[in-house]
Order: sequence, then structure tokens, then C-alpha cells
Amino acid sequence: MRKRISASLFAENGQICCASCSAPLAPTNAGWKHRAALSTLAVGTLPGAGSNVESRLVLRRFSCARCGHLLDTETALPDDPFLEDLVKV
Amino acid sequence: MIEAPTVDPVTFSIIRHRLFRVVEEAVITLKHVSGSAITNEGHDLMVSLYQADGSLLMGGVGFLHHLTSAAEACKAIIRKFEGRIGEGDLFLLNDPYTAALHTSDIYLVSPIHHGGKLVAWSACFVHVSDIGAMNPGGFAPDAQDIFTEGFSSPGIKLIDGGELRQDLWETILNMVRNPEMVALDLRSMIACNNVARERMLTLIEKYGAPTVDTVCRMLIDQSEARLRERLRELPDGRWQSRQYLEVKGETYKVLLTMTKSGDALTFDFSGSSPQSKYSVNCSKWASLGGLFAPLFPLLCYDIVWNEGVIKPITMVAPEGTIVNCTRPAPVSVATVGAIQSVNNAACSAIGKMLAASDKYADEATAVWHANHFAIFMFGNNQRGRLAIGILTETFAGAGGARTFADGVDIGGEIPNPISRMANVETIEAQFPIRYLFRRRLKDSGGAGEYRGGAGGEMAIAAHDAPDGGIHYVVSGKGTKFPQSEGLGGGYPGGVNDYVWVHAPSEMHNADRFAATLETIPGEGEPISWGVFPLMGNDALYVRWNGGGGVGDPLNRPAEKVLADIGAGLISEQAAVEVYGVVGKNGALDQSATKAKRTALRDARLNAGGRP
Repeated sequence: MRKRISASLFAENGQICCASCSAPLAPTNAGWKHRAALSTLAVGTLPGAGSNVESRLVLRRFSCARCGHLLDTETALPDDPFLEDLVKV
Repeated sequence: MIEAPTVDPVTFSIIRHRLFRVVEEAVITLKHVSGSAITNEGHDLMVSLYQADGSLLMGGVGFLHHLTSAAEACKAIIRKFEGRIGEGDLFLLNDPYTAALHTSDIYLVSPIHHGGKLVAWSACFVHVSDIGAMNPGGFAPDAQDIFTEGFSSPGIKLIDGGELRQDLWETILNMVRNPEMVALDLRSMIACNNVARERMLTLIEKYGAPTVDTVCRMLIDQSEARLRERLRELPDGRWQSRQYLEVKGETYKVLLTMTKSGDALTFDFSGSSPQSKYSVNCSKWASLGGLFAPLFPLLCYDIVWNEGVIKPITMVAPEGTIVNCTRPAPVSVATVGAIQSVNNAACSAIGKMLAASDKYADEATAVWHANHFAIFMFGNNQRGRLAIGILTETFAGAGGARTFADGVDIGGEIPNPISRMANVETIEAQFPIRYLFRRRLKDSGGAGEYRGGAGGEMAIAAHDAPDGGIHYVVSGKGTKFPQSEGLGGGYPGGVNDYVWVHAPSEMHNADRFAATLETIPGEGEPISWGVFPLMGNDALYVRWNGGGGVGDPLNRPAEKVLADIGAGLISEQAAVEVYGVVGKNGALDQSATKAKRTALRDARLNAGGRP
């Protein structure tokens, strides 16, 4: 049974899946971000960024490895781990 | 033992609404008596009712951080003055290590007696015009400890049996820079509590104390039951969020792990940074208020805000951290420092939990306006009187995007449902300044399928100032790290910026009416923390952050992106680089847009960043 777990993900048959293309990303009992396509942008290069943005700060973009749909983002300094969100299914 | 009366549904409903109205009328009173723009324009205020034991009975609007802290203030007064709390008394408390958020947010709490028995409390706060801290206005970036943050009381009886204690009154006013305005602030709160007490007594006279008390208990039980029911409907899980804040080159982190299990919710701030030497810290009561500020409107939008809502919630805030500092750490910037970061982190985590639910996904939101710029100006005004006050644009805010709609531009903020900014003319009438411009800020709302609401930008210069200008206090974290986090693939909103534009030695009259930062003559100097002059022809430019976006920006309908360009809300650069939308002669280039969006998706897949 399909169960929503975020604005961009659902769980089905023990797998976390992309809500855009239904591709399975990871087992529901594991962190899915490590299985996603990760691309990073320096926040200071985003349009409209201020004059003083921390140069090491990046926007982590976690995308579906099959369709490229953007599933989640987080701003982070390089040494900080991924934020972990775990929904019990 | 006296048996509690049975209350029929109609009476229950009437008394419930009357309690709302008691608070509402008290708020109106507060605003009408106050002469401060921060109170009656920005609505930096709060009024609530509390039970006889100090627990929250009816939370009012205003800054919601205060609902739980004022409860703790009532409880502290009950402990300190046991056996000495009489009819007509009024107490003052503003010590952050007892209950308050920072010294300039003064609580005045009044016991409400009926038939000689304490039956309830009313409590309110305003950010008083000054508190005698080392920097005017209360936010004290130069403070090194609580002792340099002004007058601080863990509880005093200011009115005894209806009689103002004149010696205390004069002592308090003797410690502040502008006693007339602070006196008006205090009198507005006294009037507010008087109205709350009178209306409560009218209610009790009509329905009887046992009936009103029964309804109050029913309301608390009902709120607890309804929140627990809502929590049971939401999925169990664990969500994390993180906030960075920076002061003078030092970076601090607020880390939240929110766990929802059954009908209970735990907010754990373990992993947050050690307390700071700067005044961005907050006490544990302040953190509790900070997490409840988004919880009330996001999870309890249709539930009465009272003690029942508090019972299912647990907070873990390790002592000695920026979210639970130890005395005498400075905390005067807490409300726009660690407290706001706690609020943002809680908003983000609650938003993610709601987004995980089919039933409640429409209630989810990205983080709203996450960073107050909180600039206090001070100096002699055009009438030769000392003026101290805030630029109320800090309350203008910006809405976070929802799962079905864009955030509202300049759309307020989560922790204060009635926040707003004053008209330009109101501020110009009180301070010797002139606005050069004030408008929505391009590219400030976080990108997404649903865009975050835009923040704003403004610039001011001295005008008709007897001393050639004024000074201002900036406690401006928020220039290095965006704090309005996105949701479900949305980007964060922009950051704040503060620029002191040093005017050239000679200026043409036409140059005095520049309409953009780029056209203000002179050399810009980024600033963020401390006290600065606004003298001569210099200008101060400020921009404030927008709300976070929701969803993949490449899914935003291209027509909406073009409309955003036309409205000045996003740049053509953002349209192409972030949204993948290409225009041609003002119209959509469909084939180029399709190719660009495909290329941007491919770039995500080929970034090589899979860990």
C-alpha cells in the first residue's frame, strides 16, 4: 500500500520511492539520501544572494537518481552530516 | 468536596468565546494606551490568561514565544510571594533566567480574585522603549553578560492592593533613558491587565465561579485530547532541522531532532552549539517558547491554546548550550537570535511531519521569515526629544511557501500572527530620517514549485536632525546564513544585508533621492553587529529575508515564472538558472525552456555527488 512520507516521496513494498517517477530509492528502514543523486551549489552563487554569505555554505540538492526530480534540499557546512528524516511505515 | 457543576454545550461555547474576547479587548486596550510603534504598529506584544496555579488558560495573539514563558512568570510570582498575593496587586518580572525572554520584554502579571479567592491571572508584555542596557532599545550587541543588559527583576510587586508603589516606579524609570515612553509602556500594560481582570470578573459574576472554572478545565482537557488525537493521526517518525547563526566571525548551530511517537512529541536540541559570549543565547524557558510559537498555529490552528496543548510536548535542551545558557551569559538579542532559530527549526521539522501525512499535507509550510533585522534607532528627533525605537519593517516578514501555494510576499511571520510594519510616515514623524525607498526584494523568496514569499529592502538617510543625524543598533545575524529553509526540494529564502553607505564629500540634490542601493552615491560598507552612526548624507540600506520554497523549482509552471519576472519578484538570471525558464522578447520560449530544464535535470544526475 502506497504511503506518503514527504512532499516528494512515498513508501511502498518496503521501499522509499520518488513521487515523480516511482523509482525505488532505498529500503524504508534506511536513510534514502545516501542513495539519491547529490548535487551541491554554493549558496553565495544563487541569484539574489547577499554580499556576505558564508563562502563554505552549500545547498545540498538530493534528486531522484532516475528522473532527476529534486526531492529535498538542505543548507549545510561541509563537515555537517545529512539531516536525517525517518518516517515509520 | 464540592462537585463541579455540569455545563451544557451552549454555556460552554459562550464562555469559551467570552474568554477569547477578554483577551482581545485587553490587546486593544494595550495598543490604544501605548505610544510605541513597536507595540501599536509592529504588534510586539502578548496578552494571555492563566489559571490560578499559573498554567496557561487562554493564549492570545501577539508574539507566541511568550505564552509559555509568561506562565512560568506567573508560577515564579506564586512561589516568591506565597501568602502575599492580594486583590489589586500587580507584579513585574523581566529576568530571563526566571522566565522572561530578555530584559526589555517586561511581563506585568495581575492576580484575579473573586470572593477573596485567587481564581486566575492575566499577563502581558511589551518590548519597552528602553531598559537601561548598555545599548539603547534593549538589544545590546555590546553586552558581555546579563549585568550589562539593563534592569532585571525576578519579580517585584509594583502595585499593592491597587496602589502604585511610587518608590519602585521612580526607581525603574530612573534606570532607563527615556522614562516618559517607558512609563507609557508600563501604563499600557497596567490598563491591559485591568481590563482583563474586569472582564473576567464580569464573566464570573454572570455565570458563577464554579461554572467558569469547570469550563476552563474542560477547555484544557479538550485541547489536550484534540492535540493528542491529531498527533495520533500523524505518522510516527523523526525529523531533523538545523539552523546556523553567525556573530562577528563565530558560527553557532541550533540542531533539532523532533520525534513523534503515538500522541507525544519530543523536541531534542542535543548537538546545538555551546553558549556564546555574544548576546544571541537564550534560556530554557525561551527555547520552550520558541518551539511552541510555530506549534500553536501549525498543529493547533483549531485548538484553544492552553495548558492542554503543552502536556503532550517534551523539550530536551542541554544546559550550557546556546538554547539553554547559564547565568550570567548575555541574552538581550535572544528573541532575534537563538529563540528565532529554535522557532525556525521547529517550524521546519513540524512542516516535514505534516508533509508526511495525506490528511495534513496542506497544513505543511516551508520556514517563514526566519531572521529579524531588529534595528533600533536612537537620538534627538526633529522636536529635540530623545527618540528610541525600532524599524518596524523587521516585523513585515515573508510567508513560507505551502504545499499548494506560494508564500505571501511581505507576509508576516509564524510566531506572531498579527505582526506588521508601520507606514513610512509614522517612522519619519518620530525620527529625523527620510526613507529613500521601501519595496519587495527581488530573488528573496526561496525558489520552488511554490515560491517563498518575498522579503523586502529599504534605505533611510538622516533628515531634519538637530544633531546632524542619529545612531542605530544592529544585532544583525542572518547575513551569512539563510535561515528560511525550503521544504520538499524548495530552496531557502534569501539572507539579510546591512550596508552603511558613506556619502561622498559633495552631493547633488538629485542624488538624495536614489531609488536603489546601486544608485545611492558613496561607498558601501557591509555591517552587521554593533552601534553605527547615520549622519550627514550617509544612508543605511537594509534587506530582509524571504520565505522558503516548496517543491522542485523545475516544476513551477513557466508562465508563473514569467509573471514573477514581470512583477519584479525574480530576476531573469534566476528564471534561467534556477527555474530553467527561457524567455524571448518577453514571451515564453517553449523549446528553449524544455531544453534548459532537461539540461538542469541532467546536471543534477551527472554532478557525481552520489556519496
